Amino acid sequence: MSYITGPDVVKYACTCGLLKPISYLYFCRYCTQLRCSFCVCHEVDSNFCGKCSENIPSSEARSKKNRCGNCYICPSCEQELSPRVASSKASAEGDEKVAARKMYYLFCQFCRWSSRDVGIPDQSSVTGGWPERENVHANSLHELLDLDKAIVLAQKQQQEKDKKKQRGKFISYTDRTGVTAAALRKRIGLPADLTHPLLKSKPKEPEPMVARTEVEKLPDDIFTKPINLMEITTINQRLLQPEAQPTTVDKLFPVHKQLSIKRTLRCRTCEHNVSKPEYNPSSVKFKIQLFAYYHVPEVRIVTVEPLRAGKPCELILKFTNPTQHQTTISFEELNLVECSEIEENKFSELVQNLSIQDKQPLSLSNQSSGSLSLSSRSPSIVVKPRTITKSTNCTVEIPTSSFILLPRDDAAEYDDSGDTHSIQDDPKLVKWRKSNKAFVRLTVTPDEGLPLNTEVNCGFVMQHLYTNTISGQLEKKEPQKYDHKVKVFLTLGVTVGSE
Amino acid sequence: MAIYETLNSDKLTVVLDIGTVYTKFGFAGEFAPRNIMKSTVRCKRTDRLRRIWDYESPEDLYDLLVEFIHVIYFKYAILSPKDKPIIIVESLLCPTLFRETLAKVLFSHFEISMMLCLPSHLVSLASMAVDTALVVDVGYKEAVVIPICHGLPMLQAWQALPLGAQAIHNKVRQLLGSNNTGIQNLGEDVMEDIKVRCCFVTEKSRALQFASEKPSIQFCPDVKYPIGGTESIIVSGKVREKAFEILYEEDNDHLCLSTMILDAILQVDINLRQLLAENIFLIGGTAMTAGFKARLKEELEGQLENERYGKLHLKKLAFHSPPCKENYAAWLGGAIYGATELLNMRAVTKEIYFKEKRLPDWIHLSETSRNL
Ligand SMILES: [Zn+2]
Ligand SMILES: [Zn+2]
Ligand SMILES: [Zn+2]
Ligand SMILES: [Zn+2]
Repeated sequence: MSYITGPDVVKYACTCGLLKPISYLYFCRYCTQLRCSFCVCHEVDSNFCGKCSENIPSSEARSKKNRCGNCYICPSCEQELSPRVASSKASAEGDEKVAARKMYYLFCQFCRWSSRDVGIPDQSSVTGGWPERENVHANSLHELLDLDKAIVLAQKQQQEKDKKKQRGKFISYTDRTGVTAAALRKRIGLPADLTHPLLKSKPKEPEPMVARTEVEKLPDDIFTKPINLMEITTINQRLLQPEAQPTTVDKLFPVHKQLSIKRTLRCRTCEHNVSKPEYNPSSVKFKIQLFAYYHVPEVRIVTVEPLRAGKPCELILKFTNPTQHQTTISFEELNLVECSEIEENKFSELVQNLSIQDKQPLSLSNQSSGSLSLSSRSPSIVVKPRTITKSTNCTVEIPTSSFILLPRDDAAEYDDSGDTHSIQDDPKLVKWRKSNKAFVRLTVTPDEGLPLNTEVNCGFVMQHLYTNTISGQLEKKEPQKYDHKVKVFLTLGVTVGSE
Repeated sequence: MAIYETLNSDKLTVVLDIGTVYTKFGFAGEFAPRNIMKSTVRCKRTDRLRRIWDYESPEDLYDLLVEFIHVIYFKYAILSPKDKPIIIVESLLCPTLFRETLAKVLFSHFEISMMLCLPSHLVSLASMAVDTALVVDVGYKEAVVIPICHGLPMLQAWQALPLGAQAIHNKVRQLLGSNNTGIQNLGEDVMEDIKVRCCFVTEKSRALQFASEKPSIQFCPDVKYPIGGTESIIVSGKVREKAFEILYEEDNDHLCLSTMILDAILQVDINLRQLLAENIFLIGGTAMTAGFKARLKEELEGQLENERYGKLHLKKLAFHSPPCKENYAAWLGGAIYGATELLNMRAVTKEIYFKEKRLPDWIHLSETSRNL
């Protein structure tokens, strides 16, 4: 979208205080507030493999460590590997029994790495059976993990027992982790309790590892034998396989492809979705898409006269109404200090109204299978909006009159019969209009004393009448209308010298 | 493999070790990180990669961490962070600003349910079932030595020197510059790759020879290292063998990697010194270099013959070999403890955090962690 909307010379202030172009913003219809990717809650909606476009249920994704079971990437260059049919020698010899079975190997079309390079035998099926590497330490680490679990559990039980004892006003000074012994040890400079009394209850204890006095020496030939860089892996190739971190290329194994996700975005204030994708991995459509682009009038810079410090100049902006409802737009002066104060007051009100207890945990019954174990979620934490740090160096003469934007009418785009609207416009403000667009003239004055080639920024508050169809439908009333205010920031260009 | 996966299927706990250059990410109960990635984020304004630890202000760090944690959860973990626990493995010397900002990001931006911070030196012992060791972490910015005695970090004995990958990369660059041109234009990632693929820690006897006036031996063979496809530079044998020497060049205070280890031993109780010397445990990516351990042993033995450390009366030095790669040893400890009840016993919950608005101090934690 950036080639249509960019460069980002027009930015809107999101409710959270970040400035973003309208194409990066969402509009929550329930709160009638702008939201952006920073201030909404992201959730994983579904997992899929980007190569085979297969949807993977989250339980399966977990058991496969978030990787596709069938697709591999190249351990050398990280591009996708493709299976290749091996040219069977047997068929050349005319052995029919063997010739019937095709054999496959994995091949990288980018760096020409192949599974044969590292001695992996060819497989009889395209999709699988490729050998996996095992962690050689897995067994001993398992024992350790089980032991640690037992120790900590015993500690926990001990703690709980102690708590109970104390509650019963029965405090023992002479139990096994006794105070006296510990104090004694401390006095002679040893740390308190040495032995782990809880360990005794454990039937099997793995041997603590013993440190060795003899250490690995450098290989003798390292000082004389020239090295071949082609045989030594790069740091990235090593880290691609964190467990083994092979140092030579003959130990590179194909790597399962990491799964991709589709995300659901949720408004933190009202817990409604502002974006929800379709489940199908190959679909780029959305079930819910509350992009600000569809709800808030778009502002674009058409022309601006050369900017000179202290001299008023004409700025033409184009306003477009993306909605099916007529709207009225008016301007207000941008006052950043005041804004932040109001915002803060509003925020504390908001927090009072929506304190954590008040918010009902939202049932996610309509969620896709992606998040099966979640039956309810705790209410979101609303983060305090930050103050806008952008400064302006140019005043905008705020027009006193407002103007109307007609609803969007797709058919009108192809209607060349001329403008047939009957709107009385302030000729000083509206220069020209067509269907749902209006070209508006503003006067801006860059601050006195700005040096040449300074970037000129200005801003104003745009108030537009927003017609909310959602609440209307729910309560079977007329669509509700709100006055929604957005802070708009414009980057006009750089100052030039006098004529 | 199947055993712990079924155990963990109900609860996935992310374990993170955010290093200066590399971040180790994985899940509790697993024995290797899922991914080791650069601790960088792409800056939206300048479109350049920025290191998280190069933050300019608390607000800057907050934004960097939001971006970084977001990528970890949605690109690698494939998990919604909301209402999930997380385990952070961090250095005991981690700046308070970083800890507090990370907690703020995790609790208020990502809405995690609880956070357990584990000290990296201490938990790295978990994979070996020992509770007393001298843990030497040779990372990017510095080497940090902390003795752990009976599961208790001896904080008063810690030693740190700026001897890590960064110093070595600078040394590689400096040495390369003597017989190549345009080295200054190459990025640090190239220096790192040259270090990893070409350099090693040479033997002490050879190092002494090279330091003498007329060495009777020659450096190992040169390597032609390709740059950008068409050009190449010569990585001389001198670069290959001398890059790591910086670890043992004593500075103005006569300090180097071997002295700081012995200084740390000097700081602890006399009855524990021999035990620590027999349980030296090296962690951190730099410790994975070929010849690192052998040379360190030689250097320590040499120092013990000096008057300065002779009073230690250490009879024997012994080194541990962990059941993992050194660069994720601390992460592995976090993953092991993270699978136990410790998470529910010691973690800072959302409720506590929002009441206190801060994390408990390490002093506080280390006292309770004695029984780890
Ligand atoms: Zn926002
Ligand atoms: Zn796939
Ligand atoms: Zn490849
Ligand atoms: Zn909302």
